[in-house]
Amino acid sequence: MDSKEVKKWYYVLPIISILMFIVLWIFLSIPADSMIPSPKETWLRFADICVHPISQAILIVHIWSSLRRVLIAFAFAIFLGVLLGVGLGWSKTFYSIFDPVFELLRPIPPIAWIPLIILWCGIGELPKIIIVFIGSFVSIVLNTYAGIKDIDPLIINAGKVLGANKRQLLFEVALPATIPAILAGIRTALSSGWMCVVAAEMIAARQGVGFLIVQGQQSGDTALIVACMLVIGVVSMLMSTFLSKMEGVLCPWKFGKTK
Amino acid sequence: MSDDVKVKVRGLTKKFGDLLVLDNISFDIKKGDFVCIVGPTGCGKTTFLNLLVKLLEPTSGQILIDNEPADPKKHNISFVFQEPSAFPWLTVEQNIQYGMKIKKLAPEVIKERTEEILTALGLSDVRNSFPRELSASMEQRVVIGRSFAMHPDLLLMDEPYAQMDIKVRYYLEDQVIKLWQQTGSTVLFITHNIEEAVYLSEKCLILTNKPATIREEKKIDLPRPRDIASEEFIELREYITKQIKWW
Repeated sequence: MDSKEVKKWYYVLPIISILMFIVLWIFLSIPADSMIPSPKETWLRFADICVHPISQAILIVHIWSSLRRVLIAFAFAIFLGVLLGVGLGWSKTFYSIFDPVFELLRPIPPIAWIPLIILWCGIGELPKIIIVFIGSFVSIVLNTYAGIKDIDPLIINAGKVLGANKRQLLFEVALPATIPAILAGIRTALSSGWMCVVAAEMIAARQGVGFLIVQGQQSGDTALIVACMLVIGVVSMLMSTFLSKMEGVLCPWKFGKTK
Repeated sequence: MSDDVKVKVRGLTKKFGDLLVLDNISFDIKKGDFVCIVGPTGCGKTTFLNLLVKLLEPTSGQILIDNEPADPKKHNISFVFQEPSAFPWLTVEQNIQYGMKIKKLAPEVIKERTEEILTALGLSDVRNSFPRELSASMEQRVVIGRSFAMHPDLLLMDEPYAQMDIKVRYYLEDQVIKLWQQTGSTVLFITHNIEEAVYLSEKCLILTNKPATIREEKKIDLPRPRDIASEEFIELREYITKQIKWW
């Protein structure tokens, strides 16, 4: 096989993989007592919720409800996470003060916070945003911290001998060098953020994709559950693709091409 | 002491714990001089340069530049490390400009010098490329350009060509001499390659094995461009080789 044929295979294989997945799905949904809805049923349910509201909202509104929570939480997580990560990596004093507390809180699964946060903040928007924040904050902090720590000392020394002061070393040398690590942290945070928003909505919400899944469970509507699960997958994939594109824009020196 | 002394080193000593690396080193470098420091591998040459730019603090002794304690923030010092150290997120052009911007030079001066350096080092075609897209030797050229662009009072180079093949090295050695002559900078160049030292320098400081002291200051008064096959060149090279032998 020459290299062109090999390349063709790389385009064909993903299609084969998806087709196999659908065939398997159909096969599992055939038995009369199967709890798995067929792809056709799922598709029809999906089309239905796109136009017919559940809890006074059509699918796109539910998606937007979840997405908005994720985006607001993300904005705070990125801002505070980068701040804390840079502080931990850059200043020994800062590290000595904040790292013990961070290390203590870090291993607690974000979902474990749900009961406490509902007790504190009720069941409005805020608790869901806080839970998504907790879920995404940690990986942004860890990646930023690792990014600062991994900077080649040669680069910092180059900045120093060119006469850069401490502020310039941080903002003009260390931070640009850390952007790829921060972006990697944001990508990791994205999946945990989605996980948390769905979990939070499954416990207490009137709108959102997680809420729809719970509705499906309560009414035995498996097609609705699967349709919403696929929606989560597709939205996550789109956000991940968007972030990949952003990497090319923010770090052309690492991911893009100039020629 | 004459006024044209640029760097004055007095009783420089550096210890790492109990390990004495540099032992009471004293010497002067004249303004506009090209000095090579040669010595056995591991004798403390890099430590010496790191002391000069304050990346390390000496255990005792003094380094004076223009009769003031050396300070990269005050003095116009530049450093080329062994490994290419271009900033990966800046283009070739931005890398060359970085040091000049830190020193807050006028935009027109920055522009003019950038063009000079890009042309002199044959980097004009890749001015908008990132270091990732360049070969190691090209990246090192960018770093050398970045240093010379600052018209440093003192340029320190730590075996910058150690990892280059011989053809590229010869080319870059000539480039450095050209830039040195153009800018009138004082250059302190560390190498373990004696041929390189004789080819480049006006004066060679020969260090002993660790703990390093200066064995000899050898003046190299060969005319330029130098012929590495000439009798005088070979004689000097062999003489210095004999001096650094420790076996």
